Amino acid sequence: MLPLDVRRFSRFPGGAGACLILIAALTGCGREEPRAGAPGRGGHVVVGMRTDFGAFNSVVNTDLYTDELIKYALFTPLIQYDEELRVRPYLAESWEMLGDTAIEFRLRRDVRWHDGRPVTAEDVEFTFDLAKNPVTASLLASAYLSQVDRAEVLDPYTIRFHFARPHAQALEDFWWAPMPKHLLEGVPPDQLRTAPFNLSPVGSGPYRFVERRANERLVLERNEDFPAALGGPPLLDRVFFRIIPEAPTMLAELLTGGVQVDIPVFPDQAERIRADDALELFAFPGRTFYYIGWNNRRAPFTNPAVRRAMALAIDRAEIIQALLFGYGTPAVSPIPPWSPLDPGVEPLPYDPARAAALLEAAGWVDRNGDGVRENAGGTPLRFTLMTSDAPLNRSVVEVVQSQLRGVGVAADIRVVEFQTMLALHRGRDYDAVFTSWILDNFQVASSPMALFHSRWADVPGSANRSAYANPRADALIEAGAAATDPAEARRIWGEFAELLNEEQPITMMFWLNELAAARRTVRGVEMDARGELVTIAGWSLAGGGR
Amino acid sequence: MTAYLIRRLLGAIPLLLGVATLIFVVLNLAPGDPTAYYVSPGVSPEVIEQLRRNFGLDQPLHVRYIRWIGAFMTGNFGYSFGQNRPVIDVILDALPNTLLLAGISLVLVFLLGIAAGVVQAVRQHSWLDRSLSVASLFFYSMPSFWLGLMLILVFALKAYEWDWPIALPPTGVTSIDYDFLPLGERIVDRIAHMILPVATLTLVLAAGIARYTRGQMLEVVRQDYIRTARAKGLPGRTVILKHALRNSLIPVITLLGLYLPFLFSGAVFVEVIFAWPGMGRVIVDAIFERDYPVVMATSFFFAGMVILGSLVADVLYAAVDPRIRYD
Repeated sequence: MLPLDVRRFSRFPGGAGACLILIAALTGCGREEPRAGAPGRGGHVVVGMRTDFGAFNSVVNTDLYTDELIKYALFTPLIQYDEELRVRPYLAESWEMLGDTAIEFRLRRDVRWHDGRPVTAEDVEFTFDLAKNPVTASLLASAYLSQVDRAEVLDPYTIRFHFARPHAQALEDFWWAPMPKHLLEGVPPDQLRTAPFNLSPVGSGPYRFVERRANERLVLERNEDFPAALGGPPLLDRVFFRIIPEAPTMLAELLTGGVQVDIPVFPDQAERIRADDALELFAFPGRTFYYIGWNNRRAPFTNPAVRRAMALAIDRAEIIQALLFGYGTPAVSPIPPWSPLDPGVEPLPYDPARAAALLEAAGWVDRNGDGVRENAGGTPLRFTLMTSDAPLNRSVVEVVQSQLRGVGVAADIRVVEFQTMLALHRGRDYDAVFTSWILDNFQVASSPMALFHSRWADVPGSANRSAYANPRADALIEAGAAATDPAEARRIWGEFAELLNEEQPITMMFWLNELAAARRTVRGVEMDARGELVTIAGWSLAGGGR
Repeated sequence: MTAYLIRRLLGAIPLLLGVATLIFVVLNLAPGDPTAYYVSPGVSPEVIEQLRRNFGLDQPLHVRYIRWIGAFMTGNFGYSFGQNRPVIDVILDALPNTLLLAGISLVLVFLLGIAAGVVQAVRQHSWLDRSLSVASLFFYSMPSFWLGLMLILVFALKAYEWDWPIALPPTGVTSIDYDFLPLGERIVDRIAHMILPVATLTLVLAAGIARYTRGQMLEVVRQDYIRTARAKGLPGRTVILKHALRNSLIPVITLLGLYLPFLFSGAVFVEVIFAWPGMGRVIVDAIFERDYPVVMATSFFFAGMVILGSLVADVLYAAVDPRIRYD
């Protein structure tokens, strides 16, 4: 039962003194601060989110925050990561690699679904089969299981997976949570997306689902039966999630205590939060990077020298400082700087002189003195730089435009609605585009494969939207994907990053630091690349106070 | 009158169908489709294709149209692509919130607006008239989202920081522990949460009504029959409220009919700012996500509300003005 906050008014019986009640209640409203019950244990936390959640089902979910709730609150994935991004056991108690071609997991025996049934290898196999079934169009399969062929249940708590071929980071193919077979086996796979289970799930994790109102709130409560070996039942009684789409209102709620955790926070709000003693700002490297995609099939971007010149002419540090308020890191390749496999290659420096020299050598000279270079045939070096209507994107392209103008390149900005931009980008009907990419997981090979491998260069709608095709890149990507030794993998990705620096099929701009805020009364909140909600099972409240 | 009503209602059917068809065509002409929001950047094209097949988007346009119209006629509005549940559930969840907000706002808008307009007309050129004019011009020009944010800033944020006796909650429909409150406190909680969004909506819209009513009243008050009524010795209040106001209300009733669809569509700016889970957000989110079933269903209902609103306005005319008769 929820411990109620002490109201700052006494309760009148019946309807006496309605006016007094109104004023008194208004005094009490908006100041709900959670109070802890027994020391450290009890109370509730309210988390503010900007967008609503998706389906609470590993197989069909596509939303990032929903994925975090699935992994850290509602369900139990086979493995988890620690702060150093090393794999540690979770639902799987132990595992054994069988050569390069298979892996066998032994599952814990003390994990139960919230309806009391045990979580077994049958559930894991069921989830795997559903994900691999093309009819479900599962993101789980494309993000994690592209190299895993089939599952084999050996006994109720042992399951073996067979790989299509040896590949790097094979263990990390299993960072997903099984779904309950006994509740979902009656659902036809092509209707899995609309199954009622997705909106009121029965999970196995430290929190159980209580209630959800679309676009308004989600309520989770403590699972008293969660095994002690996995952390035991959480300290909080309940966690509430409120959907607040507008950033200033979210901040107002955070400042008045209407929410205790605010995800996410914007760079221009960071100062305000840092200035408030009652709040703590979290800034951590995220999984999103921004880049300028050049259409490698369209002049002038058919020439790698021109693309390299563009990269040298853009001052990334200035953009990060001015527009991101410092909350970003220059990017060089799709392998994040915080990954254990990051090769540590430096991005191209800001060198407009070298950029100008490259353009001159490529035949682009300002022949008529108008400040814009032309080629021998008189065509100006002018192109359209497209982006979506997000405020950050709009600001960045304006700065890029002015930086490029400094080397005699004329970029015309075109801001379009997100869907339109995506359609044009996917259809390879653009000159240059400024957009972002989010990593699904911590396996470093999947993004380079999708973005740069030539096998996708001509496939309509594929992620290789620059139509980049380079056999040397292909060889490096394939080698990196197969390298099971981390040192070897790092070396190969280092070579790949150098190649990207040279060829610039896309110009990597920066990794965005994620920002969030929490009131200091909420203890145990830690955020890193694993997500904002990674420690949610361990959150607790200090006693009382604002 | 009944025959007229029946004729109007029957005539609405082809109108609704035409609107629905037009929206279907326009929506499908817009670039992008629901699978775009659905997939993270790295997903392979085969998965996207399968998704499109699951949504029925791989069929040619006319096949989709016929399927959809057929389902619509039988009351099956399909599943929302974005929320993955029946469209009718999506609407039924959001509609009560919008009805609450928009309904109360509409009532207040007309009460406040008409009252202000009458006062201004009766006391023309007084300081009251002038200050109300300035005030209504101020609020009328105010973008609703700015006004909403300012109200939150003053009555929620600053009130909290400066420890005023009244600090209102910035967002939401109810408090977190609403379900555990006794009935009296529940009502108070709801009222407290509604004050700021209703104030935002009402102030902006009422200002317009006030200007309009003032203009109409000024014109009516100059008529001969008003002078006659005064000369007859009728009390001022009866003259104004019973005779003048009644006659100046006709254009205002038009506005009432035009505002009626607002009960369904909500006010999206206010809903976003105050995190009010209403129809406005549903409609706009669905458009951006290319959630075709939701857009189709809500556009259809909205068109229905517009037609109903205009019908209500026409019926009210006949009630208010004895010169108007339908046959």
